[in-house]
Amino acid sequence: MLDVGRHPHIDLMAYSEVEAVGGQSGDFKVTVRRKARYVEEDRCTGCGACKEKCPTVLPDAFNEGLGTRKAIYSWFAQGIPSTHTIDPAHCRQLNGKKCGICQKVCQAEAINFDQKDRMVELEVGAIIAATGYTVFDPSQIPEYQYREIPNVITAIEFERLLSASGPTGGHLHRPSDLMVEAEIAALKKDVNKSEKVLSKYEEKYDEPSSAFYEAYQKGEYQGDADRAKWAERYEAHLGLAGPLERLKKEAEGFDVAKRLAFIQCVGSRDFRFYPFCSGFCCMHSIKEAIIANEHERETTSVVFGMDIRAVGKGFEEYKVRGGNQSGISYIRGRVAEITEGPGRNPVVTYEDTRERKVASREFDLVILATACAPGHGVGRLAEILGIELNRFGFFKTGTSQPLDTTRPGIFACGCAHGPMDIPESVAQASGAAARAAQVVTAAGLRKAS
Amino acid sequence: MSKDVLVIGGGIAGIQASLDLAEMGVHVYLVESLPSIGGKMAQLDKTFPTNDCAI
Repeated sequence: MLDVGRHPHIDLMAYSEVEAVGGQSGDFKVTVRRKARYVEEDRCTGCGACKEKCPTVLPDAFNEGLGTRKAIYSWFAQGIPSTHTIDPAHCRQLNGKKCGICQKVCQAEAINFDQKDRMVELEVGAIIAATGYTVFDPSQIPEYQYREIPNVITAIEFERLLSASGPTGGHLHRPSDLMVEAEIAALKKDVNKSEKVLSKYEEKYDEPSSAFYEAYQKGEYQGDADRAKWAERYEAHLGLAGPLERLKKEAEGFDVAKRLAFIQCVGSRDFRFYPFCSGFCCMHSIKEAIIANEHERETTSVVFGMDIRAVGKGFEEYKVRGGNQSGISYIRGRVAEITEGPGRNPVVTYEDTRERKVASREFDLVILATACAPGHGVGRLAEILGIELNRFGFFKTGTSQPLDTTRPGIFACGCAHGPMDIPESVAQASGAAARAAQVVTAAGLRKAS
Repeated sequence: MSKDVLVIGGGIAGIQASLDLAEMGVHVYLVESLPSIGGKMAQLDKTFPTNDCAI
């Protein structure tokens, strides 16, 4: 990533979208919309002083909503470019409220609330579409109750939980526990606020709230509107203490997730959604189970799948090693249903086709190996590029020229082309680069003659 | 006629294609819709089958 940012032959246009493409192979005219960041790219040093002070807290999309970010943010800590961006939908200043704190704290004077989208015209000889994929939304499968049961999560969410730079610092805290902890934090904030208000009354009347309230209840201070307000505040304060204690007690029993279930083919190999195999999910489930076991040695994992497709260099050995050394067991069969058991533990009901029996088992956390679905907005991009999609919504390519789209001079690679893992994406990208280079160097030769 | 190439998408595929072309001496415009490049791979903790760190 760093190399891309500093390579003299690469013009990096992040936070930008292709709006129009005209011309033909060797001579395309492209319009790119450079979306307004409200931060000057050549001034921002990426120091992050702005986001520290920004008062608006939002779910962090990079962390799949498991953490929080501010209305001014960097996509992730090591991101290239490191230029911060203001979220125009949530920024107070951009929505007519009084704020502008980021502008005050920015020493580089990079914040510019008047920035507008800019259109840039490019002339290129060839185009490579490497737009990737979208994680399938498993809430479309009612029996898995994703979003209904907090401890049923997707593989990409689990990746963020495992990551040392993620929202939990790499500890496998369950989402339901994180929700309780967030509630505790919010309640504590409210308690602090109400304590501040009460202390003002206590100062004013030189009496502790509890003693005052006792007297107030006995009928003293009738008709004193200010003291009535004090009493009201104190009642609200007492009302906060009960739930806070209850949640704190609940949080005492929390532990990291140690019994994991991985469910394969969520959305893929399923005729209701995508009939194809997404290719990489078997392997990433095994990898996640191995890493979880490395974090906490007592962790055990069960992978539920029709079969484990470990096709690739060193993949089968990886699967076997996971079973032998990392506490993974493989159960052949599809999961029928996930329900919520005691302690917010998900209960998986499945058929074990080897044992020929239907069973239920309780886990701490269930991870769904979601399908590789076509990218969001790929239909619009295909229209702009003037290329066709296949029946699933990936870019259409031929078998003899697998990187060529239906329009000459435009190539596709990576998951925009179809589901594939990282080594295959990289190999395809190099192939697409070679194909594009053929177009532009041939153009150069013709020009020279 | 133009000798430049446009790469749409700054995930691992777009990054690799851009670097390959740039190393060949071809000028590349790399367009990414999100604020930073990296794509899905940047969200991953480690990669199989070697458990190497992602980008």
